[in-house]
Amino acid sequence: MTTSSTTPRAAVSRGSRAGRSSGRRRTTRVDTVTATAFLTPAMIGFILFVIIPALGGLALSFFEWDLFSPPRFVGLDNVVRLFTDPDMWQALGVTGLFVVMGVIPTVVIGFLLAVLINARLPGVSVLRVFYFAPMIASAAVASVIWAALYDPRYGLVNQVLSWFGVDGPAWLSDTTWARPALVIMMIWGALPIVIILYLGGLQRVSDDIYAAASLDGAGAWRQLWSMTWPNVWPTTLLVTVLQAVGFVSGSFEVSLIMTNGGPLGTTQSLALYAYKVAFSDRDIGYASALSLFQLVLMGAIVVLVRALIRIRKASSR
Amino acid sequence: MRSTLRNVVRYLAILVGAFVLALPLLFMVSGSLKSATEINTFPPRLLPATPIWQNFADAWTYLTAGVIANSFVFALGIVGLQLIISLPAAFALAKIPFKWTAAVMASLIVPMFIPGNLTLIPLFIVTFQLGWLNSFAGLIIPMAAQCAFAVLLFRQFFASLPGGLIEAARIDGASWGRVLWSIGIPLSRPALATFCSVSFLTAWNMYIWPQVVAPDPEHRVLNVALAPLAGGENSLIPPSVGLAGAVIAMVPVLIVFIVFQKWYIKGVAGTGLE
Repeated sequence: MTTSSTTPRAAVSRGSRAGRSSGRRRTTRVDTVTATAFLTPAMIGFILFVIIPALGGLALSFFEWDLFSPPRFVGLDNVVRLFTDPDMWQALGVTGLFVVMGVIPTVVIGFLLAVLINARLPGVSVLRVFYFAPMIASAAVASVIWAALYDPRYGLVNQVLSWFGVDGPAWLSDTTWARPALVIMMIWGALPIVIILYLGGLQRVSDDIYAAASLDGAGAWRQLWSMTWPNVWPTTLLVTVLQAVGFVSGSFEVSLIMTNGGPLGTTQSLALYAYKVAFSDRDIGYASALSLFQLVLMGAIVVLVRALIRIRKASSR
Repeated sequence: MRSTLRNVVRYLAILVGAFVLALPLLFMVSGSLKSATEINTFPPRLLPATPIWQNFADAWTYLTAGVIANSFVFALGIVGLQLIISLPAAFALAKIPFKWTAAVMASLIVPMFIPGNLTLIPLFIVTFQLGWLNSFAGLIIPMAAQCAFAVLLFRQFFASLPGGLIEAARIDGASWGRVLWSIGIPLSRPALATFCSVSFLTAWNMYIWPQVVAPDPEHRVLNVALAPLAGGENSLIPPSVGLAGAVIAMVPVLIVFIVFQKWYIKGVAGTGLE
């Protein structure tokens, strides 16, 4: 989120600059009326379906509500319950494991694949399509495919394993293997966007430094880790934050469809737990508190990464 | 000589990578044409001995033409409504002198950092209070209102249009609406291509929102109908039928992706950076 933290400011200043440049002529009443009319439909939708839900989610955390009887103010009860709820702690642990098991491989593999296909060789641009293709599979499509791949008796995964004499587990109903199975599937789905962002980052690295390195006799691997990797560091930070947020909140459609959080809650992330509390138990207040807690966690991740940037900047000086 | 060898090795690596990443999708296509027994034969064949088109007919009975029509109404409704509300808004922010431009921009950008899944519950409640459950209004309008990406994308594009052209049109007496319609929109084709492809694919692939808001048979969309086919070992529906359903669901996305690839990837990369 290096760029994202600066973009709003940059965008706002750009916006006002554009306003000024066309405002050499003084702002007329027609301008104000037209601008208001042009902005109103979007702003009504935005207030009703973005701002109100965001603030409403915050407010609902302090209520007990089942959607039908009048909501009852309960103060911090939901917050207290949050920290004493064993299911919440398990879901928090699962979410943490999703992030740890998912983000690092996604970023590293995504980086290596981006470097691999960042080649000016004929035909590579056509092959790139295959690298981007997983991106367009929806959660439901991906789930159908991977459920078939993971099928314990006939799935391709266990067939290949049996080739090597390994008796594969019943992936999705095994308390040990369900989580890694989902993580592998999510890495597959997340790689394209990581590759695309790294391709953008790689294009900003100047070719000159490689020429200089080759003259100095640095080998390909050495160039990769001591030249390319440090030079795409801003992309790495951005991708890491995006993927951390993705594995915290985005993982839940997949676990909802594939395992419904099971077996024994081993794939139930916070987002899925909040979803079930809201839509199965109809405990809206507590579900809102759970969502809010996630937002705080994600904010913490962003703050942590920004701190890392500062440390890195300080040490490189 | 050495660099030729290196290029050959690199080509091979690129091919292997492409194969591994595309393997689940290749498996989907080949599996959708296999019989329930052939899908399990090992080593797997890339193409079945005789393609079983019956799988698609079976998948069709679960997905139905009505569900596919719902998906098109849902996705195109979101794209269309977002165009209608965000093009004028973006134009106003980019080109019309206005006191509140900076404030509106800030209010659009700040909530972009809240992941959609966290506002799912309150958004559902607003839709519920409006009495929009199990309706196209409830499916489409709350999602179309998430228009910050569209507004910012078009604003950036409009801001890059030459001011002189617009000044001249204004001096000639064209209204702002006329300037937007006759100059702004015709010149923004690349931005339109990016927006339409990203927005359509995002909407078509949505699962959780339609599942929560409109699960009834009359408004069910493709992904909601498809998800139960991911039954795995306990399912009575053979995997090949599920895979045929997945192929059906992928066809529109694949067409849009291939046709709009250049613009789509630009848009997705932009979302990441925003």
